[in-house]
Amino acid sequence: MSAAVMQGTAPVERRDSSSGGAEIAYVSYGGEQHLPLVMSLVDAELSEPYSIFTYRYFVYLWPQLTLLAFDAKDGKCVGTVVCKMGEHRGAFRGYIAMLVVLKPYRGRGIATELVTRAIRVMMESGCEEVTLEAEVTNKGALALYGRLGFIRAKRLYRYYLNGVDAFRLKLLFPRPDLGLDPMMMLGDERDGQHMDSPYL
Amino acid sequence: MEAGSSAPAGPAPGPPPSIPPSGDQGVWADVSPLIAAACADLQDGELVHGENFSLFAAMSALEIMDPKMDSGIERSGYYSIDEAIEDGIAPVPLSLDRTLDIQRTLDVIDHLFSCEATWHKGHTLAQTVFTCIYLMKMERISSHAVLNSFCRILRATCNSVISVVSTARTHEEEDLFTMSFGLPLNGEGDDKCLSVLNSVEETISRQLRACKSQALSKKKTLEEFESLQDNPELEEGYCRALLCRLRFRKHFHHVVMCMRKPQGRGLDLARKHVTSCLAELSLMLKSQEFLKSRSDITSQKGDESCTTASGCCPIGFDVSLNSRLLSPAPPRAVQILAWSDAIRYFEKLLHDLDIICALSLDPVLENVLHFIAQFQKSVPDLVPRAFLQTLLVQDGKLYGRDLFCDVISRALSLPDIIGDKEFQSNEFVVQLGQLVINLLKILCTNTAWQRRKLGKSLQDWSTISIQLELALKREFGETRNVLADENMCMRVSKQLLVWSQEHTYWIASRFLILGFELDLYSPSEYCMVYWYMHVVFIKLIEKMQLRILASNENSRRKGKKKKDHSKDSVRDTPFPPSCLLLQCYVLLSEGLSMLLAALRKESKSFQSPSIFNTEQERFMQHFDLLQKAQIPECITYYSFKEAAAQAYMADVMKYNFFKEIQKIIPSLKGSFASEPEKLAELRQIEQVAEHNRIALNIINHVGASDPKLRVSFEFTHHPHFAVAVVKRS
Repeated sequence: MSAAVMQGTAPVERRDSSSGGAEIAYVSYGGEQHLPLVMSLVDAELSEPYSIFTYRYFVYLWPQLTLLAFDAKDGKCVGTVVCKMGEHRGAFRGYIAMLVVLKPYRGRGIATELVTRAIRVMMESGCEEVTLEAEVTNKGALALYGRLGFIRAKRLYRYYLNGVDAFRLKLLFPRPDLGLDPMMMLGDERDGQHMDSPYL
Repeated sequence: MEAGSSAPAGPAPGPPPSIPPSGDQGVWADVSPLIAAACADLQDGELVHGENFSLFAAMSALEIMDPKMDSGIERSGYYSIDEAIEDGIAPVPLSLDRTLDIQRTLDVIDHLFSCEATWHKGHTLAQTVFTCIYLMKMERISSHAVLNSFCRILRATCNSVISVVSTARTHEEEDLFTMSFGLPLNGEGDDKCLSVLNSVEETISRQLRACKSQALSKKKTLEEFESLQDNPELEEGYCRALLCRLRFRKHFHHVVMCMRKPQGRGLDLARKHVTSCLAELSLMLKSQEFLKSRSDITSQKGDESCTTASGCCPIGFDVSLNSRLLSPAPPRAVQILAWSDAIRYFEKLLHDLDIICALSLDPVLENVLHFIAQFQKSVPDLVPRAFLQTLLVQDGKLYGRDLFCDVISRALSLPDIIGDKEFQSNEFVVQLGQLVINLLKILCTNTAWQRRKLGKSLQDWSTISIQLELALKREFGETRNVLADENMCMRVSKQLLVWSQEHTYWIASRFLILGFELDLYSPSEYCMVYWYMHVVFIKLIEKMQLRILASNENSRRKGKKKKDHSKDSVRDTPFPPSCLLLQCYVLLSEGLSMLLAALRKESKSFQSPSIFNTEQERFMQHFDLLQKAQIPECITYYSFKEAAAQAYMADVMKYNFFKEIQKIIPSLKGSFASEPEKLAELRQIEQVAEHNRIALNIINHVGASDPKLRVSFEFTHHPHFAVAVVKRS
């Protein structure tokens, strides 16, 4: 794939004192009225250029994997995540293509919530893993995905058009057939958080 | 649009304007209504696309006139080079004022130098060196001796460097470098570029001598026919500034040509030219003061971003004319390096090339591998890496000279079978030879790509080891005879097996180590990474010792010493310092892994719970390629889990791995006394061991479970081995 196909810079998470306690509403892609909102957010915040075909490719094939965050107070769209899923080398894999949250709204967990919701849909749809690329300099995004269980699987040399390296991040879901942990059967305590997760 | 006679022709709204008459082949009909109907059928925003409309297709689409995507978008106002030339942006001569002409020529030369460095750093030729209109239309400057000679040799050098990089094929991720479609790279007569340059250099140096002698005799006239320009006061300064630039080009061209000679035959001469290049670079820096003093201050840009020594913007360049030659991809922003940065780039390049030229063409594979690993530590750019690779592997031979099967037999300490036809044609030897070639090539690529390729190659190495083992069992049964009873064939097979296993573990260790250099591990993963590293290092030492034992046995046999072959004498064989160095790595990895495991257990730190998966999944992902290749056998997540579960701070204190290292180091320092690189490595290891020993004492003193204790890990003393930093909040 040419570098033009690669994307996925995610915003830096930052504490922002100006952010009040306003409610955020999360909705999945609901139709043509959402497309300009997604496009303007991504165009404004991410370095890579995307054609209209790219947006349509994602939102029409996997509308359930594009999510938008609205400020409940004034109905403004403040964040979005755009994803896909499909077969990749014998595995059913989810892919997070774009993630954006407007600067004043960062540091409130909106990006985490958007991504978490998207990953949940992927998991329920039978994905075995989720991947994405992030600039090596984007500490906020790397921390966010690290907290969700992503590892840095590869480094991609000068991946972006701006010449910056990327990390390929990967999240592997636990496979039920591999869940026979001898330690567990011996009564060893294991972090069973994924079982208690409110997301499952 | 042609339609069959049976095509549905809707009720046409009046006669269409210009439908051609129907012929024998078919009937023309207006399909506008059909299309209109199809359009009406589409929902707002719906996309017409075929089955094969993939993400790739979607992302390959470019929106015309979008400045972020359309590299052909017209920005300079010129549609062609000719139009730009007609508009006078690249005049020949550069000025009718001869002093200004030479000043501007120097600016063009300097900017081209900055462009060349930028190209080497990973941009396209079209957006760097070939933004120069003089270079695009060389026939225009045939009358301008200085610029002509400079451009000619620059073009020839670029061409040679491209061919080295293309031959090496180490540039999978750096393919912008060799992209030169549509550029006038192959000029006629470029083979004579050196003689053209020499004659110009000769003229200018004669002029410089004349200046000096005139200065002595206080005459103030210039010999008009040879002078560069009209102001006698400035002649010497301009002569000097030009000479060092032309001479740099000459020597750099020689470096490239010498290094391309087969079997490393030009390396000694190349080194001499490298030295000359560096000397000319420093003269170029010296000339900056003079050139700055001559330039119009108002046109100077900040020194930081300036692409010329004088500080002036060069004439004759247009950044957007060639962008239409780029492949249909969005335009990459190109920031041309500052001239001072370009000087620094070439200095580093020349030092890297010098290291390659100093290579002794040692046929011992172990030393070659060590050399490349060491060379990569200074993060060399694409060009030196390509030169190294083309030197190492030529015509399928090491340095174009040694057959890889001979390299292998030498590594097995079997000098008797060097050149042995049966050994050479052995299918395992042939396959291993190919794997070694691939390994050398992979090791010359950038570390990001290298790690991925190394990981994939592990499968091949592991497969051949398994095949060797099976063949050995098939042919010689399960007998484990003492060495004395073995026949030659069996001994060779056994040694081949040990040798290939040793290299498998060497690759595995490099794969793991590079993960630190590429920043692929997060602190919560250090524990399992160091644990895996220690396992791999132990196996590597084991295989290395087996190989050394076997080769000692060979030399003993060769010496025909019939004396005792008792096992004791074998055991007493002192292992080389490289084994002891590996022992330090084992202790460091094990110590760090246990320290981290104890901290995780006793202070609940360095854990990274996630809602979507567990540490087991992260383990499987990080070591997937090693696990698939069974490196080593029977190692799973549960092996790690079990080891980590047994780590307590008291044990870490008891075993005191870091103190053990400090016991080994002094003797190693003696062994490596003549190898400064290894001594530097030892000093780093010593530092890591000392800092961690102290940190361990503090943690143990305070108590790992103390809530005020803050431990972090930093790579301040070694790129792969972390140092624990202890703080109390």
